[in-house]
Amino acid sequence: MTPDSGSGSDQLLVFIKYLRGRDIPISPADSLDAVHVASLIGYQDREQLKHGLAAVLAKSRREAQLFNAAFDNFFSIEHSAISNGSDQANSEAQSSDARQTQSSENTEQPSALAQLADESSSVAELMQTPLMEALTQGDEGALAVAIEAAAGAADIKSIRLFTQRGQYIRKLLDALGEQQLRDVAIELESSDQAAFDELQALRAELLERARDRVERAYTVFASGDTDDFLDEALSKVRLGNIAPHQMARLKKLLDRMARKLAARHGRRRRKSRRGQLNITGTLRKAVTTDGIPFEPRFRTIQRRRPQVIAICDVSGSVAAYAKFLLMFLYALQDVLPRTRSFAFSSNLGEVTHWFDELPVETAIERVNLSYGGATDYGRALTDFSALALQDINRSTTVIVLGDARNNDSDPRLDILADIKSRCKQFIWLNPETRRAWGSGDSEMLSVIRHCHIAAECNNLKQLERIVDKLLTDMHSR
Amino acid sequence: MNNSHYPQLDNVEQIIRAFENAGYICTQRIATVVYLAAALNKPILVEGPPGVGKTELAKTCASVIDKPLVRLQCYEGLDESKALYEWKYGKQLLYTQVLKEQLGEVLEGAKGLSESIQRLHNMADVFYSYEFLEPRPLLKAMEQEHGAVLLIDEIDKADFEFESLLLEVLSDYQVSIPEIGTISARSKPIVFLTSNDTRDLSDALKRRCLHLHIPFPSVDLEQRIVASRVPDLQQNLNDQLVKFVHALRELDLKKAPAISETIDWARSLLLLHADTLDPQIVHDTLNVLLKYEEDIATTEGQLHKLIGQASA
Repeated sequence: MTPDSGSGSDQLLVFIKYLRGRDIPISPADSLDAVHVASLIGYQDREQLKHGLAAVLAKSRREAQLFNAAFDNFFSIEHSAISNGSDQANSEAQSSDARQTQSSENTEQPSALAQLADESSSVAELMQTPLMEALTQGDEGALAVAIEAAAGAADIKSIRLFTQRGQYIRKLLDALGEQQLRDVAIELESSDQAAFDELQALRAELLERARDRVERAYTVFASGDTDDFLDEALSKVRLGNIAPHQMARLKKLLDRMARKLAARHGRRRRKSRRGQLNITGTLRKAVTTDGIPFEPRFRTIQRRRPQVIAICDVSGSVAAYAKFLLMFLYALQDVLPRTRSFAFSSNLGEVTHWFDELPVETAIERVNLSYGGATDYGRALTDFSALALQDINRSTTVIVLGDARNNDSDPRLDILADIKSRCKQFIWLNPETRRAWGSGDSEMLSVIRHCHIAAECNNLKQLERIVDKLLTDMHSR
Repeated sequence: MNNSHYPQLDNVEQIIRAFENAGYICTQRIATVVYLAAALNKPILVEGPPGVGKTELAKTCASVIDKPLVRLQCYEGLDESKALYEWKYGKQLLYTQVLKEQLGEVLEGAKGLSESIQRLHNMADVFYSYEFLEPRPLLKAMEQEHGAVLLIDEIDKADFEFESLLLEVLSDYQVSIPEIGTISARSKPIVFLTSNDTRDLSDALKRRCLHLHIPFPSVDLEQRIVASRVPDLQQNLNDQLVKFVHALRELDLKKAPAISETIDWARSLLLLHADTLDPQIVHDTLNVLLKYEEDIATTEGQLHKLIGQASA
């Protein structure tokens, strides 16, 4: 690409930013490595550069795929922009034919503007600017160079949001010196219609090019940021308020969250290790018995196999949340294979197998169809104790997702107490805000007494925080 | 930036050639990563399905740079006493017994208990010194005078905790021994870690490594690999058998045949004096390629079709 390494490494940093926008996490240390790699390999051999950068920037197969696509995409955009400028000779050769015909046209019928240049000094001045020359002569190379220079001057790389595009197009046009064109156009509007139309056409062409350049900058530099921005915003929205058109984004976010949790926690599942002889320990112990290893010491590592039983309320009162809770449950089951999921409104049933076998949408639909209805915690808990109570032991964490609104019937708190006494942790996640707990037919205040943890959980941020804490606690015990 | 220790790895084309001479056909990607590993002193994390030549890459690298290969095979339960170092307890015990009499001499003439203790304190901590250290692969690799290739094989089989143990070795090329201090590498080895993708490795480990994923090779590349490994094989048979193996990989098998199996199969066919793929021979030797009974059963049904494709 560019021969001097200074601008090359600038390009590289921009590329790294672009990759981050594409959901490839890159630490400052990685960027540093990338700069080293680029200086070792150089920018001449693109394929080799790609291999080298992939080795330091893409850390898994998923990332390698993203990287390959991003590399091709990024460097083809940047490359075409630059080659327009630097391979000017090349493009000139190609367009020289076209230009010749155009310039001959120009000579044959001199434009209204050119004619006017003899009369008006401001038009003459305008016609002599390099920008105008390039525009009127259709000199693609010169125009591209001018736009690249203006793009640098307008700091177009700082574009962050979709809504900033208009602003940056204006900035870019100003940097190009479009002001002068506008002034002359205003002057001509009342005096010479033909010349005015001609100038307006040129301005429109310039605007089109500027817009094109800004769009390109947006896709390269900002679309990732905008995504981040939207993701960030979405993760703080109350789950009940998420609009249907945001579902796709939400699903992506949930997947990413589950992947993150999986990476952090999934690998700690381990088989118990056979006790090995701990030689250091044995010898240390043997010191007290005059060097005779009387009492052998063994290394033992306890079996840690977290088991989660999740019970999700899918009744009418939490309908807005149920979908997200189920989606999350689905993701959780991927992370912790020993998760069992149950759903209920009045009667309760196990849905683990659906989550295992069906894609997320179908599974959720099936759950809603089979278990939707009016809430009856008493009935549901009775069902639950028949189905799974005997499977709850000291390594089980039980999570209930629900609002504890029970239509004023008996909530069977005795079953909750039984669950609590059997399991390691009993957690109640309530989508309502804490203030609403206990109001109306909510049994939350009495439920709290039977939980180890009761928490409010109505957006993704809270959900992630709670589950992360949950999993961490599970491992540390 | 030249690496004085490994002049053989100074540029990418040279690596491709040197590895080819050693019998390892590597793509530009592999060569680039090996070059960077030598130039940046970074370990390589090699991932890919079993049998694509991950371990072979490290062995070939060792033979190309003519340095010893130190290999650490990972397994569940591997710990620092197997990977880093161990004290020679037997020797320590023996020496304490032998040196008991010495103690009398040291303490001779000491007045009172406190002076005796003082004298004992003044003795160096002899039993936890370098002489009683049993180096395990990681420490051994650090101790090589003129560099080495360290192969940490199947890191995904080791426990999660073991990865943390490796971090110091991989980023700083040193080993800390509480009783002695820090032992730095005399000359930084080239480190290969291999993983079969059975679990995700920690970010900390990945961050310290160059990442290299070796997929199943293209038909063309695999033919070159077979030709280099089994030079006596005829070109047209090579062509057919590689295409056959590629067709096999398209099937839904429990374990797809890898390069190593292709090579084994090529050798078997050579031994059997086959000069073309005929159904009988393929049928008889299928167990070289496929390691599960059900895979063999799946394939046998389509044998004629597959051979037809390969010979086309």
